Amino acid sequence: MRWAIGAALVVAMLAFGLGVYHTAGVLKAGGKVVHRPNEVSAPPLPGTMYVVQGGAIFRFQHGSFTQVTAEDGWMQPAARPGDNQLVAVRRQTNSSDLFLLTTGGKQVVQLTRNSRPGPAEGNHWSFYPRFSADGATLFYDYDPKSGFNNYQVDLAIYASPSNPDSRGSLQWTHPNDYTGGDVYPVPLRGGGLIYVKYSIDDSFKVHSQIWLQKRAGTSGQALTQPELGCTQPALSPDESLIAMVCSGGSNQTAELDVATFDPTTLTLGSPATLVSGQLVASPVFSPDGKTIAYLAPSTPGGQFQLWTAGSSGPASVRNITTDLGLDSTSPPVWIGG
Amino acid sequence: MVAFGFVLAGLGGLGAYFLPVFQTAANSTTIGSGALPHLNPVTGPTQPFTVLLLGSDDDSKFMPDRLNTQSMILMRIDPESKQATMLSIPRDLWVPIPNVGYGKISTAYQMGGAQGAIAAVESNFKVHVDDYVWIGLNGLVNLINRLGGVNVQVTNPVMDDFYPSDLNSAGNPYDYYRVAVLPGATHLDGVHALQYVRSRHGDVRGDFARSERQQQLLLSIKAQASHLNVADLPTLASAFNGEIKSSIGVDRLRPLLSIANDFNGSNIHRVVLVPPYTSEGFAAGQSVVFPDWAQILPLVHQTFP
Repeated sequence: MRWAIGAALVVAMLAFGLGVYHTAGVLKAGGKVVHRPNEVSAPPLPGTMYVVQGGAIFRFQHGSFTQVTAEDGWMQPAARPGDNQLVAVRRQTNSSDLFLLTTGGKQVVQLTRNSRPGPAEGNHWSFYPRFSADGATLFYDYDPKSGFNNYQVDLAIYASPSNPDSRGSLQWTHPNDYTGGDVYPVPLRGGGLIYVKYSIDDSFKVHSQIWLQKRAGTSGQALTQPELGCTQPALSPDESLIAMVCSGGSNQTAELDVATFDPTTLTLGSPATLVSGQLVASPVFSPDGKTIAYLAPSTPGGQFQLWTAGSSGPASVRNITTDLGLDSTSPPVWIGG
Repeated sequence: MVAFGFVLAGLGGLGAYFLPVFQTAANSTTIGSGALPHLNPVTGPTQPFTVLLLGSDDDSKFMPDRLNTQSMILMRIDPESKQATMLSIPRDLWVPIPNVGYGKISTAYQMGGAQGAIAAVESNFKVHVDDYVWIGLNGLVNLINRLGGVNVQVTNPVMDDFYPSDLNSAGNPYDYYRVAVLPGATHLDGVHALQYVRSRHGDVRGDFARSERQQQLLLSIKAQASHLNVADLPTLASAFNGEIKSSIGVDRLRPLLSIANDFNGSNIHRVVLVPPYTSEGFAAGQSVVFPDWAQILPLVHQTFP
């Protein structure tokens, strides 16, 4: 009997020591624990939103998240107007492809086939899919290869009929060489395209500008000055506002700016800052255009969370999530219903 | 007796948790110190000091004692004025290397280790280097992962079809894969942060671009490290494992951490020796970067007296 009590005490002591070890680790981790979205609840937002974390797409509705795809390289979903479908990127090591999905995450059709056997450089990327307002055209990024230098990999924006059975993609933009390319297509209802163009000046400084092109293959025009360093444009549903992330040429700041846009004259007003002091990424407008959702860390160095701000200042910034790790290169999709 | 047993078990658990700190302190290449971190409040340094940050590709393509430094960043920190300067030295800078002759400055480490790299920098840039930190590929990856990742603002797409697949020692170190780091503010783990600062093929600025990104990553690491406390050191120390070497011992880390919050992007002056400070050319059959010392030295001496 005594022997048994002694053994039990030794086991209890060992368990206590193990507990101390684990407690030390947990205390050290502090608030850095990242949850999967479907493990948390958040203040409800009107309509339906899709966000990405860990290679999976999640639907956010009525204050709770539902996982709609497996954690399998999914990113950058976008809504297809007029029906219950999404287009999204599925990224693998050397390539990425576009897929049409149901809003429940079921694959409808694979739109691109960029994976190639053989050397890695034979593969292609597709990113940033975005349907035109009528749903008839799909804009996206693709990396056409240079015939002269294997090292040149610049993304260009293409457009193709959204009918997956049809053939024929049209290269819309021609990026500046060795800048990484043109990204982030935002189709206009009138047929033009807003996107982000990069340039590198003689002093090796990188500039990003919101660019506008009326037709495929034309040179287009800058909507923002190079020194503003603006990127990631989002267009309000009535096309009267553009939200964007501007750095002022710094690679340490990223503020949320908004400017009026005149879709008839295709001119942009002076940007006004809505949110500063945060590392802002990937803004989108709410279906009624009154609110902007964006992604930013809650703490310096922290993972990206979902935030909202009123689209017409003064900003009413609201932290929607606190302990997720959202993919900041995938803008939230915010639709009605 | 029973209470003593539980106390002993608890101390054992704590000891196991902090074991990496003890090991790191014991294995540290610290000059003149192998002490454990002091747990009492510390006073940060007050005098300016200069640190040479070195980064090497240390995969199996290279003999462990024949490494070059793909990254060399000279850093001056002035705790009093709360000003810091980061100066990136092009790896292909064609300079006289003490006791060797002309060569790329990246080879100085191969010839004489950290002291060789320090000597090459001191003799060419006419500065005094107080300390060095060397880090290998996996060291950087592990360090960032242990910090919980870093936030960086990717300034433009970083595209590379020939990114070396050499982190895993079991694979073919000459293999490669494709990289696409998409622009915008993002949270990167160690592997993706390394891709961001190591890729150079798809950028018109080549090595200068990654020098700028390396400085940017250092600021991000500093931002993360400023949240560290002594309880973080065990997991951080376990990332070292020979992949980080420094003349700064664990005992001196706490004072340095204590001043980390004094520095942010606005008071850290960043310099990359792009043209006209340098020009690209060929020497001894190699593609090299020629320094224009008449322009470089006045710039350096503004902040590295």
